[in-house]
Amino acid sequence: MQLFWLSVGFGLVTSSVLAISSVGLSLQFGITNYINFAYGDYMALGALVTYVVNNELLHWNIWIALVFGSLAIGVLAVVVNRLILGPFARRFTKTFYVLIVTFGLSLVMLNLEYAIWGADVRFYEMPIDRAMHVGPLLLTKYQLIVMGIAVALMLGVHAMLKTTRLGKSMRAMSDNTTLAMTSGIDTKRVTTVTWFLSGTLAGLAGTVLGISEGNLNPASGELFLFVIFAAVIVGGIGSIYGAMAGAVLIGLATEVSAAFINPAYKLDTAFVILILTLLIRPAGLFARPGKA
Amino acid sequence: MTADPVPAPDRTTPRAALSCDGITKAFQGVRAVNGATFAVPEGLVTALIGPNGAGKTTVVNILSGSMTCDGGTERVGDAEVTNWPSHRIARLGLMRTFQLSRELGGLTVLENLLVAAPGQAGESLLNVFLRPSLVRRQERENVERALDVLDTYGLFHLRDNRASDLSGGQKKLLEISRAVMASPRILLLDEPMAGVNPALIERIGGHILDLKATGVTVLMIEHNLNVVERICDHVIVLAEGRTLATGRLGDLRENAEVVQAYLGEVIDASTHG
Amino acid sequence: MSNVWYYVFTLVFFLFDYFILAMGLNIQYGETGILNFAFIGFVAIGSYVTGALALPSSVGTGQHYIFGLGLPFPVNLLLGGVAASGFAVVVALITLRRLRTDYLAMVLISLSLVLYDVTNNFIPLFNGADGLYNVPEPFAGVLELTTNSFIPFFAAVTGAIALLLWLVMSRITRSPQGRTFRAIRDDDVVAAALGKDVFRTQLKSMLIGSFYAGIGGGLIIEFAGSFNPTAWLPGETFVVFAVIIVGGVGNNVGMLVGSLVVETLLIHLPAFLPSIPNHPGLIEYFDTVVVGVLLMAMLWFRPQGIVPERLRKASSLGGSDHALVARGSDAAAAARPAGVAAAGPKGER
Repeated sequence: MQLFWLSVGFGLVTSSVLAISSVGLSLQFGITNYINFAYGDYMALGALVTYVVNNELLHWNIWIALVFGSLAIGVLAVVVNRLILGPFARRFTKTFYVLIVTFGLSLVMLNLEYAIWGADVRFYEMPIDRAMHVGPLLLTKYQLIVMGIAVALMLGVHAMLKTTRLGKSMRAMSDNTTLAMTSGIDTKRVTTVTWFLSGTLAGLAGTVLGISEGNLNPASGELFLFVIFAAVIVGGIGSIYGAMAGAVLIGLATEVSAAFINPAYKLDTAFVILILTLLIRPAGLFARPGKA
Repeated sequence: MTADPVPAPDRTTPRAALSCDGITKAFQGVRAVNGATFAVPEGLVTALIGPNGAGKTTVVNILSGSMTCDGGTERVGDAEVTNWPSHRIARLGLMRTFQLSRELGGLTVLENLLVAAPGQAGESLLNVFLRPSLVRRQERENVERALDVLDTYGLFHLRDNRASDLSGGQKKLLEISRAVMASPRILLLDEPMAGVNPALIERIGGHILDLKATGVTVLMIEHNLNVVERICDHVIVLAEGRTLATGRLGDLRENAEVVQAYLGEVIDASTHG
Repeated sequence: MSNVWYYVFTLVFFLFDYFILAMGLNIQYGETGILNFAFIGFVAIGSYVTGALALPSSVGTGQHYIFGLGLPFPVNLLLGGVAASGFAVVVALITLRRLRTDYLAMVLISLSLVLYDVTNNFIPLFNGADGLYNVPEPFAGVLELTTNSFIPFFAAVTGAIALLLWLVMSRITRSPQGRTFRAIRDDDVVAAALGKDVFRTQLKSMLIGSFYAGIGGGLIIEFAGSFNPTAWLPGETFVVFAVIIVGGVGNNVGMLVGSLVVETLLIHLPAFLPSIPNHPGLIEYFDTVVVGVLLMAMLWFRPQGIVPERLRKASSLGGSDHALVARGSDAAAAARPAGVAAAGPKGER
């Protein structure tokens, strides 16, 4: 039973990281209508930029470094969209092209990261931390902060979508881009802001992944991307709330199963759930019509 | 269905080549089609008319199997085919065209037609490798026939052009000739004359009458009432996803409800524009 | 034989092998429009199955693997291709019917990683992270080949197999079946409305392409004598995409050109460069970056590739000269008044 609660604790931490990253991926998918296969590399780059200002150059406090790393990826995402993805998406109507381009972008980024930082596993500079009991769970302070960040962000995203003009524009565009455009929404601006948010969330998720796992390297984002895919598909692609729910489900399932089966098969648990979802409820648990 | 909902048009009482009963379809909670019920008489040209948003294209999508419906039944002849996949409905001899031309852009004009040829032995790899002479012979016959059809539709000189390079009007003709290549019994045309010049409207109208002469049943969505008047034998009026009325256009003009819901507006529009 | 020839024939082998792989991915993506982001997984299945069938029983070899039947070449190779095809059917049944393009791509790339993960961790299958090694050389008992003569010999064998597979593939892509593949690629809704069973057709395309993947993979393990997970990370699929896009999607000859440019010149040639001191792997990293950038540039500036897809003209489709001449001038056709009978649209059914 102790093992179970321990794994639930891990699961909630993974869920938190997953929730942040899945929402970032979903926001962008809702607006642009294609999946960004380089998202995992955005995450890894965020983690590495944070690492640079935390460890190598400036020795900033990890949380300040995290904000810097996240915003840097937000800016990068906007630039990449302006220079590469946006033009491709506008020029080719078939999704194929832009998907292959994001796949290529992923490989380019991954290998550049390898070329710069090497394949070594790295660690953040953080004070040693001791685990404490929270109800039946055993968590470290950092893990609690990561969960806190995730909850705060989810509430923030919810509030933004429901109350702000930007959020309403985003929802309108996600439902029907042409209609949104004709009803006077500045779709270009919304797209740019969305990429910024998506990139920022990716960078942030990459860093908190590094914090919660205790290590990072260029490949960690790419591996995690597949877990994100599982979360967003299980939740129902394009649905922000589905992504949140999928994140909790997949996060818990992978960690709890890891405790009782072989942890080497963590990823595969997520995939099995993904396949089961496709077989039983192909549009996902919180499907939005027209997106499946 | 208990009774044929089509009031018998004059002269004979043709049986229904295609019929539907109580078709419903909702998109994100909005009812686009709300109990559409009608029959398309065999061997005639029937117009499907109605104001924008009446659900005409959705109905054609459902009848051709490109889309599933939430409720209701569809029949081709006597066979119930509700929510059959598109290719199975097509194999019963029901072909459709699309409102915005959807040419197979990477193929030549001739290939666009060849794809549509029914029952090709060369679509089985076993035949391709074990019975090459059969495949070749059939291919030659299909090419001959496709060239004939292209000739009829005035596309012969474009046979080797990439379909995506055609002009808008040529694409419209390609849509129809491709469907004709499949030897359909029933043809659903989604606004075959939208956005083309008057001369071409004339030609397409002629083609439709030619098809009728060879026994093809036609159901076409059409806005231009002059065209409807000239080439359609029967009219189905759809409004808010429901069948409002069916009959001859002349009779419908006297139906107050129809005039109020639709015809008046269109007649106004057509006299102004 | 000098080292230079050893390198040259290794390059020749990979040229032909990737030609085979590219033809396999091309029929799926280039002809049918299936974005198979798990392609390298099917290559791996072919490779492992071919190897495990060629190896003798695993008892006492220090390796763990299934099969171990000691089957001779090319029986094992063929079965490797069949295994990859069989797996493709399973994958297609679960995914193709339900998913639109980007969903499919996500699920397939995840599948590729899961295959990788399971193979890596589940040792009894194909010896885990160590992979299979000491795979018997083809023709070992039949021909007396030394290490030096084996490499050119097997490069030639691969060339012959590639030629055969090219002839088969050309026949498929030129047939009405090939035309239906391309119709589905261009617009699957239209193809279905014309009576094509889209799912069945895609399934066929997956099956054929995966067979090629399996053969290409099997040849790699026969050539190298070993195969392990580092060879087929999900990113490797991208290299095959680069081959077909650079070469020219939809053109079988383009596949050979793409293989030459991407696989031989960009991926394998630099591998023979001396590595930069203190920076292990740096050349490979930049290599991959160059391939990625080349692919994006190619998609932007020349999306049709070096050797574009050919249009199939009437004369090549069996339209005899007679048939072409016999039809009236088009000016006449265009001016023809409405009312001329349409070409017999009735009948046949």
